[in-house]
This record gives sequence, C-alpha cells and structure tokens, in this order.
Amino acid sequence: MELFRKEDKMSSLINRNYNLLPVINRFGIRLGFKEKTIGEVCQEKQINTDFFLAIVNTYTDDSYFPEAEFLSFSPILLIDYLKNTHKYYIQYVLPKIERLLNEVLESCTDNCSSLKMINSFYQKYKAELLLHLKLEDEKVFPYIIELYKNKKLSAEGSFIEVIENEHTNVEVKLSDLENLIIRHLSPNYDDNAMNEFLTALLQFENDLNDHARIEDHILITQVIEFEKELKK
Amino acid sequence: MKESVFIVHRSEIIRKGLSLILQEYFKMEITQLTTASDLSSFTGITNSIMILMLDAQAEINQKAIDLLKKNNEVALVAICQDEEEAHQAPVFDYQLTLYASPVQIQKLIQIIRQSGGKPKNAMVENGELTSREKEVIKLIALGLANKEIADKLFISIHTVISHRKNLTEKLGIKSISGLTVYAIMNNLLDIQDINPEELI
Repeated sequence: MELFRKEDKMSSLINRNYNLLPVINRFGIRLGFKEKTIGEVCQEKQINTDFFLAIVNTYTDDSYFPEAEFLSFSPILLIDYLKNTHKYYIQYVLPKIERLLNEVLESCTDNCSSLKMINSFYQKYKAELLLHLKLEDEKVFPYIIELYKNKKLSAEGSFIEVIENEHTNVEVKLSDLENLIIRHLSPNYDDNAMNEFLTALLQFENDLNDHARIEDHILITQVIEFEKELKK
Repeated sequence: MKESVFIVHRSEIIRKGLSLILQEYFKMEITQLTTASDLSSFTGITNSIMILMLDAQAEINQKAIDLLKKNNEVALVAICQDEEEAHQAPVFDYQLTLYASPVQIQKLIQIIRQSGGKPKNAMVENGELTSREKEVIKLIALGLANKEIADKLFISIHTVISHRKNLTEKLGIKSISGLTVYAIMNNLLDIQDINPEELI
C-alpha cells in the first residue's frame, strides 16, 4: 500500500485504512477534519508530524520500517504513544471482547462445557496479557525514561531483551484460542454472537502485532543501541 | 491382524526370561533369535503387528526391518541395560530396560497393541490424532515433563518431542494450556484430573 505523506488529506487516511481510527484517537485527533491535510491537523494539535506519519505508516504497511525517521525522535514520544495504546486495550478493547464472549456463552443452550473451557482459557490469556502490559508500564518504560534522562547505565544492567520473549508467549496463547474456536469447538452457540466475538479477537490480534512490532523493532532496538553507546 | 513377537538378543537368559514373562500374560507367538541378521529369513511375513524386541547394543539389521515395515505394522522395542542407555536409543519406538517389572512389560505390550493395527498415514491426512498422540496430549495436559512422558510410555525423549511437534502441526495449538483445553474438550481427559487454576 502507498505510504501516507503530510500533504495528504487527513480524511483520506481513514478512507484508505479505517483500522487507523483508534490510532489517530490516541494522538488526540478526532473526526470532522474538513479539507485539512495531515500536516495541518498535526500542527494544530502540536503533534510531531514525522512521528505521526511513521506510526500510521507502520500500521498501514507491514514491511514499512521507518528506521531513519524513528531514530530522530525521542523514545519518550514513542513511550507516551505506547502507554496510550495500553490504556486503550485495558479500558476499551478487553472489556468489549469479554462482553462479546459473554454473549456467546449466554447463547449456548446445552452442552456448554467446551465453551466454558474456552472462557477459562480466555481468562488465562487475559491475565497473562495484563501482567505483560503492567510489566512494560511499571518497569520497562520507566527504565527507558530514566536511562535517557540520566544517560547512565544502571547497576543492575539491562532487562530490555526480556520483553521480546514475553511477547511471543502472549501471542501464542491468542493464536491457540482462535484455533480452538475455529477448528475444534463444536458449534453450540449463536453464529452471529460468535462471529462478532471472533472478529473482535482477530482485529485485536492484528492490532497487537503492529503494536509489538513498534515495541520490538523500533523502541527496543533503539534502546539497545543507546545502551551500547553508553557502555563505550 | 495377526501378531508376532520377535526377541532378538545374544543372551539366552534374557531371550528365554522375557519370553516366559510375556507368555505368562499374553497368548502370543514368540520367535527367539540370537542375532538380527536372522530376521532376514522372516521378511516374507505380511499384514501382521510385529513387535521386534532387539538388543540395543547390537546391530539391528535395518534392511530387514525396512522390508517388514512395508507390509506390516512394526513396533521396535529396544532392550536396554539401564535407563541411561534407554534415552540414547532414538531409532526405537519403545524402550525396555532389563530391570523393568512384569507389570511394566505387560503395560508396554498393551500400549503397542493400542497404537498398532491402524493405517498411520491415512490419519495424518485427515488431521485425526493417533492413539499414541492422544496418550501424549493427555500426559502433557496432566502437567508431565517430556522426560516423565518418555518414561511412562516407554519411548525416548526424542520420540516425545516429535509427537509434540506433530500435535502442534495437526491441531494448530502450541501452548500447554491450549493443548489441555483441547484434551478436555475431546474427552481425552476429565476436568477433575487437572487443577484448572494452574494449568489452563
């Protein structure tokens, strides 16, 4: 897909990729753009335009890797954005998915034990995801902020590399959950309710993958480089 | 399917001893051979479940075994000196140590009978699990480690790992808790057998 530039209309962004709706919201941008360009809206909202473009293009094109652009922003900007995303997951997406799952459960009339197992598995997945987000919010992000503020390595060393492994574990559970439903669960439920739940889940998976790509490939890479600099 | 058992070992004490123990529990035809090269005389056998119990330290006569595998369900059992040797015998499907109890020997034969006699390839194609894979998934769900599963099913750790790989490919499920949910959903395991808080 063609990449967005700052001369493009803000409205064209959503016309071309509606998955970006929550992304622009995280920057504090709301609908009703009239004829304004991306550059104009960013200026109005005091958002770093290059940073905004790097983020929306990462979501739009899987192979887009804005190395040079990203390295020019402070990781603090990135962390703010990532924290907002976490908040969006915790306060909006997870409760929504859970509500849809409850509707599926309620639509089941008999032989619901398998569906209840799916529910327990989801609860386990959710607990693990929340723990992971908490680790990033409370340990990893503050560590990075301190690192850039003091420009000095801490005595305990780096724990940045731990996260990538963590991501994989959480991702595996989500894909297991989907396969259990799509391939192995006997359909004792209302189809429309299940479709809505599954659609929300698959969309969340896509969003998480993009999110993890930003963290692993951009933020973490940048911090590891910075740590190397400091060691010299 | 007809069933035939071969005990191939250079020690007469072991051959006769194992044969006696087996005959105590099972009505089976047992052939005793001193070396695996004698297996070549039996390659004409077809449509049988063949349990070949071989000295893990001796030559195994791969050529004869390959020929037998074409027309029969073949289970290769290593007769090992001890536990340590048992884990170093990956070419075999099952391991039996000289110190195995009669109950363990009896169980081993039952396990082989359960997993044998069914066309394996057909099952791979439709994604159904083999009875051996069902055993493995059940033990995974119960929280057993690879080594424990290997000991329980008389197979090597390598075989356990390869079963796990196949399970993941067939089911599209990687995590232990995902496999546990699958096992319970398919009645391979009772929910009461596990601690849902811990494993799911």
